[in-house]
Amino acid sequence: MTPRMNHTMKTIGKRLQVAAVFCLLVTAMATVARAGSEKYLHVKVDDAENGESVNVNLPLSIAEKVLPTVNKGNLHAGCVHISNADMDGVDIKAILDAIRTAPDNEFVTVKEKDQDVRVAKSNGNLVIHVRDMSDKKDKKGQKVDITVPMKVVDALFSTAKKDELDIAAAIRALGDAGDALLVSVEDASQHVRIWVDSKSSSDR
Amino acid sequence: MLLLGKIVLGFAATAAAGVGLLYSDGMIVVDVVEKQPERHHIYVPAPALLVPVGMHFAPKEKLAEASREIRPWLPTIRAAVAQLRECEDITLVEVKNHDEHVRVAKSGGSIVVDVEEEDDTVHVSTPIRAISSVIEQLAAAEPSTQSAP
Repeated sequence: MTPRMNHTMKTIGKRLQVAAVFCLLVTAMATVARAGSEKYLHVKVDDAENGESVNVNLPLSIAEKVLPTVNKGNLHAGCVHISNADMDGVDIKAILDAIRTAPDNEFVTVKEKDQDVRVAKSNGNLVIHVRDMSDKKDKKGQKVDITVPMKVVDALFSTAKKDELDIAAAIRALGDAGDALLVSVEDASQHVRIWVDSKSSSDR
Repeated sequence: MLLLGKIVLGFAATAAAGVGLLYSDGMIVVDVVEKQPERHHIYVPAPALLVPVGMHFAPKEKLAEASREIRPWLPTIRAAVAQLRECEDITLVEVKNHDEHVRVAKSGGSIVVDVEEEDDTVHVSTPIRAISSVIEQLAAAEPSTQSAP
């Protein structure tokens, strides 16, 4: 082998090494980016009275891909059909349109002896709080907090059909939204939480 | 002597390739430990490739019935399996109470079910690829036209 050929081979070898390191870096960055972008739906039920706990962790990408394939009962192609009887003549789309365009505000406030109900729009979220003290045995009462990003609500009602909820679109919107505690139901013995975040485990 | 060496090498290579092929779909592991009254340990590791092979020996009518039942859910199962393959390791479901601890997880390309009870612990690990090939074999089987009783 001539000295020139030897030099060329060494140069090619070095370039290949650089290319290999670059490819590895790109692959590693792509993997990190992909892992970071995945969102998880968590459901946690703690039953202190019976000493029981249930944790469900579901990658939203699974829900998003699986849901449109289910065709059973009222669920078809990722949409749930709601009968007119369930809607009870209420034009939900018109109500949501009014809420969307309205500034942050409390829309419904009901205060009774044993119950408080509050429905509001706050920081781009639809917020529902219910406090129920009607059960005399339960001194703490029951607390229900629901926080749904308006984008998710919009996606839910994004289908052209009036009597359908687009669950698949809502899940997609949920994936695009930030980390959020969606539902919290708490009474004397049980605590149920549903939330979305970027962690695959249910530590919160 | 050289010829003998080549023959031995050929056999060794074939054996290695055979073992590699046998374990290419991973391992199904069933691990049961009975704690009381006497400690029994049952550990069954089996190549996942044997499951679809074993299905060829299953009674045709049973396969046809399973095929008919699973057919409406094939798109859902296929989508779920494909997504599970892609996603990182995760505990999907975990249930704990005073007596039991049940965990269903995706771990290293397998679906793992762990059950811990007072009397025994059970660990079952099945490669997702094996689940997928079983589903595809059921899908390919001729579905029965009769409904189950």
